[in-house]
Amino acid sequence: MGKKIDTVTVEVLRNLLMSISEETFGIIVRSAYSTNMKERRDVCTAVIDPDGNSVAQVESLAVLLGSMLGVVPKIYEKFGRENIKPGDMFIANDPYHGGGNHLPDIVIAAPAFAGEKLIGWIANIAHHSDIGGKVPGSTSGDADSLFQEGIRIPVIRIRSAGVLEQSVMDLLLDNTRVPQEREGDLTAQISANLIGVERLQEAYARYGDTLIDCMTELVDYSERRVRAVVAELPDGVYSYTDYVDGCGDKYPDPLPIHVSVTVEGNNLTFDFTGTADQIKAPINVPYPCTQAAVFFAVKALMGDDIPANEGINRAVTLIAPKGCIVNPTEPSPVGAQIDCEQRIPDAIFGALAPIFPDTIVTAGNGACTTTILAGDGAIGTDSVFIFHEVIAGGGGASKHQDGLSGVQVNMTNTSNMPIEATEMEFTKILARKYELKTDTGGAGEMRGGLGIERELEILQDNVLYTGLGDRHKFHPWGLEGGLPGGTGAFYRISAEDGSVTQMGHKTTSLPLKKGDVIRVITPGAGGYGDPHKRPAEKVLRDVIEGKVSVEAAKDQYGVVIGRRGVSYFVDESATGARGQK
Amino acid sequence: MAYMIGVDVGGTFTDFSVFEHESGELFHYKDSSTPADPSKAIIQGVLAVLAMKKAKADSVSYLAHGTTVGTNALIEKKGAKLGLITTKGFKDLMEIGNQRRPSLYNLQAQKPFPLVPSGLNCTVTERIRYDGTVDTPLDEEETRQVVRYLKEQQVVAIAVCTLFSFVNPVHELRIEEIIREEFPEAYVTISSKLVPEFREYSRMSTTVLNSYLGPVMKKYVNNFRNSVEGIGIQVEPYVTQSNGSIISIKETVDCPIKTAVSGPSAGVIAAAYIGKQCQADKIITFDMGGTSADISLIENYTPQVSNERTVEGYPARIPMINIITIGAGGGSIAKIDDGGALKVGPKSAGATPGPACYMRGGENPCVTDANIVLGKLNQKKILGGRMDVDLELAKKAIQTKICDKSDLNLQQAANGIITVVNSNMVRAIRSVSVEKGYDVREFSLMAFGGAGPLHACEVAKELGMKEVLIPPHPGTLCSLGLLLADTKFDLSRTMVLDGVAENVPEIASQFESMTAQGNGLLDKEGVPQERRRFEYFLDMRYQRQNFEICIPVPAGEMTAAVLEQVLESFHAEHKRSYGYCKKDAVVQIVNYRVSAIGIIDKPDLKPEALRPETNLPDPIAYRQVLFQGQEYYVKTPVYRREDFVPGQSIPGPCICEQMDTTLVVPAGWVIHVDGYHNLKIHDEEK
Repeated sequence: MGKKIDTVTVEVLRNLLMSISEETFGIIVRSAYSTNMKERRDVCTAVIDPDGNSVAQVESLAVLLGSMLGVVPKIYEKFGRENIKPGDMFIANDPYHGGGNHLPDIVIAAPAFAGEKLIGWIANIAHHSDIGGKVPGSTSGDADSLFQEGIRIPVIRIRSAGVLEQSVMDLLLDNTRVPQEREGDLTAQISANLIGVERLQEAYARYGDTLIDCMTELVDYSERRVRAVVAELPDGVYSYTDYVDGCGDKYPDPLPIHVSVTVEGNNLTFDFTGTADQIKAPINVPYPCTQAAVFFAVKALMGDDIPANEGINRAVTLIAPKGCIVNPTEPSPVGAQIDCEQRIPDAIFGALAPIFPDTIVTAGNGACTTTILAGDGAIGTDSVFIFHEVIAGGGGASKHQDGLSGVQVNMTNTSNMPIEATEMEFTKILARKYELKTDTGGAGEMRGGLGIERELEILQDNVLYTGLGDRHKFHPWGLEGGLPGGTGAFYRISAEDGSVTQMGHKTTSLPLKKGDVIRVITPGAGGYGDPHKRPAEKVLRDVIEGKVSVEAAKDQYGVVIGRRGVSYFVDESATGARGQK
Repeated sequence: MAYMIGVDVGGTFTDFSVFEHESGELFHYKDSSTPADPSKAIIQGVLAVLAMKKAKADSVSYLAHGTTVGTNALIEKKGAKLGLITTKGFKDLMEIGNQRRPSLYNLQAQKPFPLVPSGLNCTVTERIRYDGTVDTPLDEEETRQVVRYLKEQQVVAIAVCTLFSFVNPVHELRIEEIIREEFPEAYVTISSKLVPEFREYSRMSTTVLNSYLGPVMKKYVNNFRNSVEGIGIQVEPYVTQSNGSIISIKETVDCPIKTAVSGPSAGVIAAAYIGKQCQADKIITFDMGGTSADISLIENYTPQVSNERTVEGYPARIPMINIITIGAGGGSIAKIDDGGALKVGPKSAGATPGPACYMRGGENPCVTDANIVLGKLNQKKILGGRMDVDLELAKKAIQTKICDKSDLNLQQAANGIITVVNSNMVRAIRSVSVEKGYDVREFSLMAFGGAGPLHACEVAKELGMKEVLIPPHPGTLCSLGLLLADTKFDLSRTMVLDGVAENVPEIASQFESMTAQGNGLLDKEGVPQERRRFEYFLDMRYQRQNFEICIPVPAGEMTAAVLEQVLESFHAEHKRSYGYCKKDAVVQIVNYRVSAIGIIDKPDLKPEALRPETNLPDPIAYRQVLFQGQEYYVKTPVYRREDFVPGQSIPGPCICEQMDTTLVVPAGWVIHVDGYHNLKIHDEEK
């Protein structure tokens, strides 16, 4: 379609389009109200071409990509391209109808016009802390239908001809437990789009139709990059099955995520046939999210510098049978889908490990371990507080290095909220502990990253706790003889009697009393290579740093660590010859 | 006779700017750097300057330098062995950081190297709450044990950072006392003293960085003072800080982090000064060298300061001139990637092997090679004739690495390299201007550094900027800046208050006590009363937001009316930055900032008379040059900068060579020489 643009101009305009996405991202993060956006940066922004292909996306977190990819085509389908007018802006959150991963992710997209001509779109998506539904924070571990997960917004206008649709805003604010926060966040999203549209118009004024042709070329370029890598891979079918922990008593484990990856010339096919059927519990992964997960794995393995756009999707074929857990039918619940979606890159990495020996990493914490605390207590003009935090875990090890400890993996990469920021805003929460958890990193020549232990004390009665996670049962796997990493766990330490109770990985709205402590342990990551090949001095360093216990050093690595006063040393004679376990 | 000397220590050269008060003469001197002990080159150079002027050491009335000691210790990971003491339950905060992995897609990306060695991140039982109340008292005996352990482990420095110490420092102060009792020789940094602001990871990381650098800096400072005294200089030397000011060298021992990344800040100070000479109150500075380019924005002759940046992967909450550095310089390497795209940088060929044309074995085409092929740079000798270059090697590198892998011919490829590197500059300039709500077209682009003037006009054109400014000596702006800085202490505190009239007394009392603190620091610097100036700022946000905007507060009494005025500025600034404001929403005040400034005498340069009737100088040569967006080389006159006379106007296209840089002026642009020998280059195309 577009005429061929020279490589130099493409690079110049790629810079320009990325700077537009980054600017709008910055506006949301710095001016939003809810911790999800302002501290955790659970936000993604993009420039989209007039045909609806995403062209330039910020590399904030991968999970939100899916929704950015699908929104504009949905708008065209519903309203007709010819009916989109300058000053319009669209909003959606329904994962089955152009929205995000789950209902709290609200996407807002704005067309940009030069005169009468549609020159592209500016879109952003952000995680809102509450949009109604059966539990505060909207995401539960036990919803059996989408209708319990909050208000559904099909693609509709939030602005028409430059004027805010106040009735739409009123409806949304009436359907959240924290309207002041919601309004602040939506305002930030809308304002960011307005500025993005202005920037795109300026770019068009400068470059004219070359800008649009260039968008096409950028997408083609990403596709070419992926195909160039695939062409070099050995043809064949590579399969792997990983497992999700299940979802409460009704849906016990194991729930297999199976993928067969076919490499044939420069074509790459991901087939999820054989994956568990959809369930009436909120871990179904809507199709756009499955697409996003494949997108992530492809970009991470084939070239992290390939521009993140629709071209990557075009370079692959995705088969996910309708009705399976990675392509559920409406209205299957999807609130906690991320825990299941995280398993998709794990399965793909497992399948492709043999042909990416140098870059592959072992399974990381593979979850999106979420803590939601909700209770009475005014913040601003909102009468309740909803605290939402995601806690990182271990990162995968590779042939060349240990895994990172205390990091987000795969589809998510949100920041933590500083403890001091948390407690200044949520004065009834007190952090007691936030440290790496000894022995959660899988043993290996290269050790897996460690998970985190976090304890939060609740300082008032009647606080509802929701804890969502995964890999509480199925360990993160290792490679080449590396041992699996530690699993996650949730505990409640009772204020009354000090008793410690383990809770499920989909605990929903558990009432807490003043003085109760929630202890969250996140999964670690698998090790890479034979632990007995890890140099003794590295094991010693792990023990000194508290990453590996003296017992595990002996049992898993075959290294005996002695102690003199406060100092540790390798007991050479007791360690002896390692290697035979 | 009294001499002011500013010294900028670079990787290769140490630059000196010298001003003599009575004659009003400003001159520059350059010597090779001595990386092993940078003070050597400084002393040698000062002696050389004095010898040239037949002056005695006691005629030096002022000596300031920018030190790279901290920066180098960080880059080479040669800081002090240090221990950390924090709250029990939180020993891994430095490793966890913000819990984000460094790259979303690169599975191999690593976290920054650990500053606190294994097992030396210690905790003590204690806890303060958000409101300053003590939740768990400090276990003093345990603290004593921890300090003894660190002493036994032979640390030389300790960083202390406990939760909520910025609200109530009582535990940190007690820990400090215990360290003094048990381990008096340790270098200690206390977070609530260094940076009493909220967000524990940023505060801790700043504290740790400071302790990491402290002992190294202490040693350097002692050496340097001795050497300076040794040659008979009577004045206390100054050092630049990252906020663009100078402090006496003894003060840097307590806060070395404030000097750690001060490198380019002096250049920005000089740019603001030259902006004043040119009556340009809106400037983007563009300092392009061999491996990187530094970009910043100056409004009303005041550089913009940001309160946090990343230092070697760690957040540092220290006021710094807001400078964006990108990996794009003369040595940046161009390549065609797998998808057929032309990329330039961030990889650099450095000084060795350097660009292909340097004849040092480099085979990769660099930005400098492209400039030589295009005729923008001298095709035989650069650096004022001091360095030979080989045009054929430049052509060969571009031919084999770019043309053979794409459908570009040599001209297109060379032009393409410049276009791409310029687009990187454009992106960086947009991020400090357009993205902050400034209309970049209202700004002048001040170019300096060895490569800035080569690219400036074409970058300006791309952004719609109408004026480019080139100072007389673009290579020595940093050392010049050292003659132009004031002393400045930036103080900050966190206390969240609603921005309402009832809180005016509390705000006033915060400012009052901080002013007293600032006066104490200026007393120590020996700044007389009449040379003191205070600036006040409030970091504000709408209730529920978490990022603050720093708003200047007028000096004088804090009243409800003044607060109202500050709130108005906040709404306006919010609107400019984010596109909206909410005038009826509650505004919170989060941080209080006071800058205590001691004004220092500066060179008083006088303009020369303009002589517009003087005949244009004769070009020293003509060269075939291919300008951006052109298809053919054009015969272009080459001038020597020294031949320009104040008041002259020289039309483009032309090239202007001088020792430290080469200026490229496309057709349609005209150079105007002002009385200070600054070049103002205007886009006069219709």
